[in-house]
Amino acid sequence: MVNLEYFSFIIDYLPIFFEGAIVTINVAVCSLVFAVSLGILGALAKLSKSRILNYIAQIYTTVIRGIPDLVLMLLIYFGGQKLVNLMTTAMDIGYVDINPFIAGFLTIGFIFGAYMAETFRGAFLAVDKGQLEAGFAYGMSKAQVFFKIMFPQMARHALPGLGNNWLVLVKSTALVSIIGLDDMVRKANIAGGSTQKPFAFYFLVAIVFLVLTSISIFILGKLERKYSIGVRKV
Amino acid sequence: MKSALSVEGLYKSFGNLEVLSGVSLTANRGDVIAILGSSGSGKSTFLRCLNLLETPNKGKIVVCGEEILMKTNKRGENLPQDIKQVERIRTKLSMVFQQFNLWSHMNILENVIEAPVSVLKVPKKEAIEKAKMYLNKVGIYDKLNSYPAHLSGGQQQRAAIARALAMEPEVMLFDEATSALDPELVGEVLQVMKDLVDEGRTMLVVTHEMGFARDVSSEVIFLHQGKIEEQGDPKVVFDNPSSERFKQFLSS
Repeated sequence: MVNLEYFSFIIDYLPIFFEGAIVTINVAVCSLVFAVSLGILGALAKLSKSRILNYIAQIYTTVIRGIPDLVLMLLIYFGGQKLVNLMTTAMDIGYVDINPFIAGFLTIGFIFGAYMAETFRGAFLAVDKGQLEAGFAYGMSKAQVFFKIMFPQMARHALPGLGNNWLVLVKSTALVSIIGLDDMVRKANIAGGSTQKPFAFYFLVAIVFLVLTSISIFILGKLERKYSIGVRKV
Repeated sequence: MKSALSVEGLYKSFGNLEVLSGVSLTANRGDVIAILGSSGSGKSTFLRCLNLLETPNKGKIVVCGEEILMKTNKRGENLPQDIKQVERIRTKLSMVFQQFNLWSHMNILENVIEAPVSVLKVPKKEAIEKAKMYLNKVGIYDKLNSYPAHLSGGQQQRAAIARALAMEPEVMLFDEATSALDPELVGEVLQVMKDLVDEGRTMLVVTHEMGFARDVSSEVIFLHQGKIEEQGDPKVVFDNPSSERFKQFLSS
């Protein structure tokens, strides 16, 4: 017989823990939006005829994908704070604290934007040129061809890679705990420390991540079906 | 009578390869001009230059009395002056592609109403009415909720023709419309094209179907190495070709 009394300490910490879970989800969703925007811009820059845009995008994806996420996060967050301090001192204004939530999602979004750029680049290239030509031939503007033909067809090719990136991104949010953001992982650490039962909380963290990613996989499957409409299932 | 489409001295090169070397042509209303030629003769490129899917290097294109205005940029490239004008003129020239190019993420009805609604700003209800009429005309009214991938090649091409008709174009451009089809499906698409000829539509038809060119076109043009080698009434040119090249082409 399991002694439920034994688990009561977890119950006490649940409200705090779920506050952390909400922070984790918020960071993940904000990062995703930022990363997808950067990714689409990066892909368009890579595919553009402008040499300068090609170079900027190439440097961005090369540098970001070549450095560990943890190192980048430390560099951007602490380095960013240092930079802000230098500037505020120079301009003789008071101390400005970087909000760890904003810093966290900007950093994660910036990192994953580089991976997304490659995903979207491949997806844009996978769209048959004839599909776009038909749009132009019927008098559509560039913007109309992009939003009515390119984007919906690109989405089908992008979704598998995007889903993959999203799962890695969700798990990377655990990194924001090191810059002092009160996400689920940090809360679990604190709770584990004060109750002397760290593994109970680590398990809880693992389960919540697993639930989040499982729900994501389910939704992604639905989305893939939605965007595969009109494509014969093999 | 004002011509529906006239082209003067069209040149087009890809790198060092000159594909069109001064092609001129006039299509009056109701003309059906068959453009023949072996592969690489420039016939598809010629058609694609007319709606500026390819930008010609030189030459004048006039559609329904309106000349497409071109300019030369710093690098000496020929470019349209005003992309809005090009977009407007493209709506008067509906193209039917070899690979159909129906939008794969839209069903047949959506394919047919898309450009009329988003480009010509036809009210959606009216566009649907018209789309149904044209789908009926090409004989695939029952497929209007299907997606292109679920249709045979012949049905897809007929849907693509309905999409072209829905623009109510001045001139229809057929770019080897039957070349990608299985032999037994060619007939149904040619029949639809013949019906359009009977309606008096102005058509430029790049084709390998000699029977179609001979029987229904009002004029035949034979392109060879980017130049017009033979041109004239189909009955005359098929029976008494003046150019050696065209004779060889017909006998091959």
